[in-house]
Amino acid sequence: MTAPVAVRPPKPRPALGMWSLLAASVVITIVAGSAIDFDLLPLFSDTTRGWFIVSQFFAPDWSYLGRTVAPLLDTLAIAVVATAFGCVLALGAAMLASRITTRNGAIYRTSKAVLSVLRSLPDVVWGMLFVAFVGVGALAGMLALVAFNVGIIAKLTAETIDAVDPGPLEAADAAGANSVQRARVAVVPQILPNFASYSLYVFELNVRASVVLGFVGAGGIGTQIAVELARFNYDNLSAIIVVLFVVVFAIDQISGVLRRRLAS
Amino acid sequence: MIRFTDVVVRYPNGTVGLDGIDLTIRDGEFVVVVGLSGAGKSTLVRTINGLVPVTSGELAVGESRVDGAGKRALRDLRARVGMIFQSFNLVTRTTVLKNVLVGRLHSTPTLLTLLGVARKADVEIAFQALERVGIVEKAYTRASQLSGGQQQRVAIARVLAQQPEVILADEPVASLDPPTANLVMRDLQRINRELGITTIVNLHFLDLARAYGQRIIGMRGGRIVFDGPPEEADDAVFAQIYGRSLTADDILPDTPVELGPTAT
Repeated sequence: MTAPVAVRPPKPRPALGMWSLLAASVVITIVAGSAIDFDLLPLFSDTTRGWFIVSQFFAPDWSYLGRTVAPLLDTLAIAVVATAFGCVLALGAAMLASRITTRNGAIYRTSKAVLSVLRSLPDVVWGMLFVAFVGVGALAGMLALVAFNVGIIAKLTAETIDAVDPGPLEAADAAGANSVQRARVAVVPQILPNFASYSLYVFELNVRASVVLGFVGAGGIGTQIAVELARFNYDNLSAIIVVLFVVVFAIDQISGVLRRRLAS
Repeated sequence: MIRFTDVVVRYPNGTVGLDGIDLTIRDGEFVVVVGLSGAGKSTLVRTINGLVPVTSGELAVGESRVDGAGKRALRDLRARVGMIFQSFNLVTRTTVLKNVLVGRLHSTPTLLTLLGVARKADVEIAFQALERVGIVEKAYTRASQLSGGQQQRVAIARVLAQQPEVILADEPVASLDPPTANLVMRDLQRINRELGITTIVNLHFLDLARAYGQRIIGMRGGRIVFDGPPEEADDAVFAQIYGRSLTADDILPDTPVELGPTAT
C-alpha cells in the first residue's frame, strides 16, 4: 500500500532578522567599548600599586568584629521594616495596576505610570533624595527602600494578577460581590504564594541595598564602611566585608529555601 | 418569573448571540437549554444575570429589569440569581468552606471581607449548603484536592449559600464523566424540587436533557427553535435543533432513559 504522495515543504529561509540583530548588538558593543576607551591592561599593570591595600584586606582585624554588630542590626532592621511597609503598599498598588482588578482605565493607567516612575530611579538616588528631605539616618534609608520596593513588588504582582485564573472572578461577580470583595476572595488567594516570594526576594535585595544606602548617609553598616574607608582602615573594612558576606549569604539561602517551598 | 421580550445580544465583534428572543420562564421551573456550540444557549443564560449585556429588548427577573441596570442594581440582581459553571470556578488554593462563603458576599460588609472575617450566621448557612449536597466532611479541605464531581458540588453549595431565587447552570456537567454528570444533574433536580428554585441548565447531551428537563428549549443561530416538554422532544426535533441526524456522539452513555432508534 502506497501512501498518498504529499509534497515535502522546502527548507525555510534562514531567519535574517535574528542574525542582523546579533550583528547589530556586536557592533553596538564595540562602539560602546571604544567610546569609554575600554582597556583591560590596568588590571595587570597597576595591581602592584594597590598591593599593600590588598594585603591588609587579607589580614582582617577580628577584634573589630564586635563593633560591627550594632550597625549590622541597624541595617537588617531597616531592611525588615522597609520590606514590611513596602510589600503592604505594593499589594494595594498592584491591585490598582492590573486590568483584572481595576476596571477603570484612568486609575489603571495612572497607577502603572506612578509605578514606572518609582522604578526609574535607582535605590541610591532615592536614598540621596530622602536624606535631603528627612536628614541623615535610618529613616531616610527606610523610606528610600520602601519607594524602591513598591515599584518592584507591585510590578511583579500586577503581572501575576493579570495571569490569574479568571473563573473564580467570574463566580464572585455572579454571586453579587463588589470589586473589593472580588479582589480579596478571588484574586488574593491565587497570587499569595507569588506575592510572598517577591517580598522575600525584595528583602534579599534590601539587605544589600541598605548597605549601599549607608554610603549616602542613610545609617547602618554602610555608613560604617564609608567611615572606615575614609580612614584607610582596610583591616577593619575587611572584617566588615567578611561579616557582611556571611550574613547576606545566609539570608539568601534561607530566603531561597522558603521561596522554593512557596512555589510548590 | 423571568421574561425576555424581543431580546437581541450583539457582541462587539458583530456576532449575534441572541436574535430576538421572546421567552417566559415561570417560578420553580426546571428548564434545560440545548443546542450546538455557538447556538446562543450560553448567551441566553448569561444575559439573565447580566454577565452578558443585552443590546436591545427587555429582560426582567421578577420585578427588576436586567437591561440597562446600573452596577448597584446588577449586584442586587446577582445576589438573587446564582450561577454554576462548566469549569466549577472555585478558588482551588483555599478551603471548600471559604469557597462556599463566596455565596454570602452579597450581604457581607466589605470591611469584614477584607479582614477575612466570616460571621457565624454566614458560616452556618455555608455548612447547611454543604450538607445539602452531601460534602460537609470536606469543609476544611483545599478545593484543589477534590475530584471534578466534588468540586461541582462545592460550586452548587456556593450557589445555595446565596439563597437565590434562580439558579443558572452553564454546561455544568461538560467537564465530568458520565456517572458523575448524572449525580450532579440529580443534585440540581433535587434542589429544584425541594427548594422550588427556578433552574435553567445548558446541556450538550440530549439524553441528559430528556432525562432531567421539565421543559426543553432548543436553540439554533440565536433563536429558539423548540420549546416544550421532554416527551415532545423526539429525535426529529433534535435533528432540527442540531441541523443533522443524531449520532452516538450526542448521547452520553449510562443515562437511565429510553433512547430512540436513531440514537443507538
